[in-house]
Amino acid sequence: MNNTRVWQKLRPYALVLPAMIGILLFVVYPILYLVKLSMFKYNLLNKDKSKFIGADNYTEIFSRGDFYNALLTTVLYTVGVVVITMALSLFIALWLNQNTRFNALVQAGIFTPHIISIVSIALVWMWLMEPNYGLLNFALKAVGLPALPWLQSSSTSLLSIIIVSVWQNVGYYSLLIVAALKNIPQTIYEAAALDNASKFKVFYKITLPMISPQLFFILVIMTIGSFKVFDTVKIMTGGGPNGSTTTLVYYIYEFRTTSIGYASATGVVLMAIITVLTFIYFRLLSNKVHYQ
Amino acid sequence: MAAIEFVNVTQAFEKNVIIKDLNLKIEDGKFTVLVGPSGCGKTTLLRMIAGLDRQTAGSVLIGGEDVTDIAPGQRGVAMVFQNYALYPTMTVRENIEFGLKNNKVSKEERNRLVESISETVGLSPYLNRKPSALSGGQRQRVALARAMVKKPSVFLMDEPLSNLDAKLRAQMRIELIELHKKLGTTFVYVTHDQVEAMSMADTIVLMNQGRIQQEAAPEDIYRQPNNLFAAQFIGVPPMNVGDLGMDGVKFGFRPEGAVLTAERTDSHFGVRGRIVTREMLGSETIYQVKTKQHAFMIKCTEDQFTVDQEVFLGVDASKIFFFRQDEHRIAQDDVRHAAYMAALRGQQHE
Amino acid sequence: MQLQKEGKKQSGGGPELSIDSVTRTGSKPKIASVRKTWSMFWKAVVLMGFIFPFLWMISTSLQTFEETMKFPPTWIPASLQWSNFVEAMSSGPFLTYFKNSVIVTTSIILIQLAVMIPAAYAFAQYKFFGNKILFGMVLLAFMIPGQVTFIPVYLMLADAGMIKSLWPQILPFMSNAFGIFLLRQYFMQIPQEIVESARLDNASEFKIIWKIMIPMSMPAISTVALFSFVSHWNDYFWPLVMTDSEAVRPLTMGIAMLRETEGISNWHIIMAGNVVLVVPILIVYLFASRQIVKAFVYSGIK
Repeated sequence: MNNTRVWQKLRPYALVLPAMIGILLFVVYPILYLVKLSMFKYNLLNKDKSKFIGADNYTEIFSRGDFYNALLTTVLYTVGVVVITMALSLFIALWLNQNTRFNALVQAGIFTPHIISIVSIALVWMWLMEPNYGLLNFALKAVGLPALPWLQSSSTSLLSIIIVSVWQNVGYYSLLIVAALKNIPQTIYEAAALDNASKFKVFYKITLPMISPQLFFILVIMTIGSFKVFDTVKIMTGGGPNGSTTTLVYYIYEFRTTSIGYASATGVVLMAIITVLTFIYFRLLSNKVHYQ
Repeated sequence: MAAIEFVNVTQAFEKNVIIKDLNLKIEDGKFTVLVGPSGCGKTTLLRMIAGLDRQTAGSVLIGGEDVTDIAPGQRGVAMVFQNYALYPTMTVRENIEFGLKNNKVSKEERNRLVESISETVGLSPYLNRKPSALSGGQRQRVALARAMVKKPSVFLMDEPLSNLDAKLRAQMRIELIELHKKLGTTFVYVTHDQVEAMSMADTIVLMNQGRIQQEAAPEDIYRQPNNLFAAQFIGVPPMNVGDLGMDGVKFGFRPEGAVLTAERTDSHFGVRGRIVTREMLGSETIYQVKTKQHAFMIKCTEDQFTVDQEVFLGVDASKIFFFRQDEHRIAQDDVRHAAYMAALRGQQHE
Repeated sequence: MQLQKEGKKQSGGGPELSIDSVTRTGSKPKIASVRKTWSMFWKAVVLMGFIFPFLWMISTSLQTFEETMKFPPTWIPASLQWSNFVEAMSSGPFLTYFKNSVIVTTSIILIQLAVMIPAAYAFAQYKFFGNKILFGMVLLAFMIPGQVTFIPVYLMLADAGMIKSLWPQILPFMSNAFGIFLLRQYFMQIPQEIVESARLDNASEFKIIWKIMIPMSMPAISTVALFSFVSHWNDYFWPLVMTDSEAVRPLTMGIAMLRETEGISNWHIIMAGNVVLVVPILIVYLFASRQIVKAFVYSGIK
């Protein structure tokens, strides 16, 4: 009898144990380990020769131009991706909102790239953006515009990467917005029609506030997702030309074998940025978006 | 077969005390109805019998045995929930035999039991359907069958009829009475509907704010309510109550206890009033009569008056109840009873 | 082309049009119908913008090197160069890559389901001391990306001598924080009375999970599994930083490496390899697009 009571108390812990082991082993412990590594001059070949250097790695980070360059590139990339994706997906969602088979087909089509590996997408776009034989330049020339160097020049490379990312994800976010739009009760629109509200007003006063929680959620996901951009950079540009597409994660990646301590310190900085962003967002969330 | 006993039971959820030091004996084989307004603790009692919530203090006994540490599935109880709580991914058959399987009943035995139970409740043609393909009444029957098939010693029901429409509800009430007669097990039935309580119960346990107000047979609770709450909770419309104007005492009478006449008659309590509303219900008519001090609901078997008509209202001495300031009823053999009777007579035709 | 045709068929009489013609009067229906065809046209153009790169990939994969170097481009190859595929696939141990992808992805999904379902059930069903802290750790895991933790995880697994095996691509994903969160939400929506009924039916907690919760949560569970499949089958970053030998690399890395093994301007070969990676998923999507879209939308709105 007593045994069953004890088991009843222990049961929840037993059920969450495997999950917690996974999280402790592969999230919590690595975070602590990362912080520790960031304070060492780590020797990969001979661990015993690793040297504790305190905050030196951090001092180095904040005194190096290439770190600020990587940070700025990441911020520019994030702002570009978030703004363009948000605007486009909102537009597409409103445009394809009506329940017709054709709209569903277009939605499914726009969504396709989201489930394809970024490797394939990067390769296809590299081919499209090939300066001499690529289709994009062919199209530009066909309509009388000058050809662009795309990934080959530091002035257009970041934009090219942004385009690929927007192209891959806009379908997913517009689907989410369409779902949010469908959740708005039709009766509210009918009431607004009876109140003789203009289309613009209906959008501003009803549609937008009603989907603001979802828009906000999308904003959070997109920002954090963009901050850890790596794959497109690695495959398409290798961070170049001239470091014009070296983002934070790519920066960390470049140092991962040569200077583990320094890379770890940069990793801590990235983690701090993501944490701060999350907190700011959820602070804003509790203040602004609470019509329900 | 089992009697149920609560001994000094207290139930609190995070410092919110629902029930305090409650003692109650539910007789073996009886149809007991726990009735009261929502939040009175009746469902809490039921869940403690089932073992779904553990009491904070005291003990719960089933068949004389303390079941505090016994898991719900091993108490020999079955429960029918308000929303039926059928397993939506299982067929009707699987729903009914799930408990049997868990109790390691053999396959032949299971089949035999399922066949006979579904025959009894009229579900045989639907055994291979999912609950979502059934009507509300049929789902109700599945819930009953699922409970019955386990041959429980105690049958618990938590507002099982409240999701049915009025007609089906009336029919199911009768079927439940018959079912109880046939099974002869202890039924504990929770409802907020006093009609269900009156029509089905052997014993009504009337509760309010975690306390038992009265525990009696339906006719007793109706004729001799313990207190003002019981008097006003049982019966539609509720008992009419007015101030006696003496010792803070209130008098009361049932809506059918009064007689309306066009001419003044001689009754123990009589007042003049005017008919404000009239509800013609077919076999009876309910009038609201406004007197100088009160508004009374009166139930008549004949439909003789119209709105705005002046009437005389008379109540016999035998139909009158008195309640003390603490809301307890004053018994007829109480020393003050006669004095209050006289005082009421004094208010004649004011 | 086919898509265009579909568009025209629809313009004959969609539900949109019938609403328009009811609400407008006189000659206006004509204008509405013109506007509708126009909007249809633009939608088809946008759709092509998302489908065409894949068609172009397929076309290129069947061209000769000379055809790819022509300007204006070759739309349809003169003769289909199936040999491109042979060349792409023989440039590396693609059978091994494929096998690795399959093993890694299926193991992740199976382990995740086994770990996540009991955890989600516990978080949904029980109040226990420390549950908020433990759930907070789940949210933390949800928030911290692999891009932050990959260095220490690599060192840890290298110390454990696992780098030459597939474990570094599987183990770190054993706890799917997002899945635990999503499933917990779903479990909490299941009426408590159903669980209580099962307890009264003398079902063990294991049986409640297995016979009640899992069957009732199939939509959520399959969403999580699908999500896991897509993200790990497509993953590039994690195998890149966790592997240092061909024997344990997945398909994505093999394809990405084609540019190094085949030369950066051999687009016909690279695209042929790419087709091998993409087409299976495209075919699945073609048949189950509705369910896949639904699953993604479901996971996106909490």
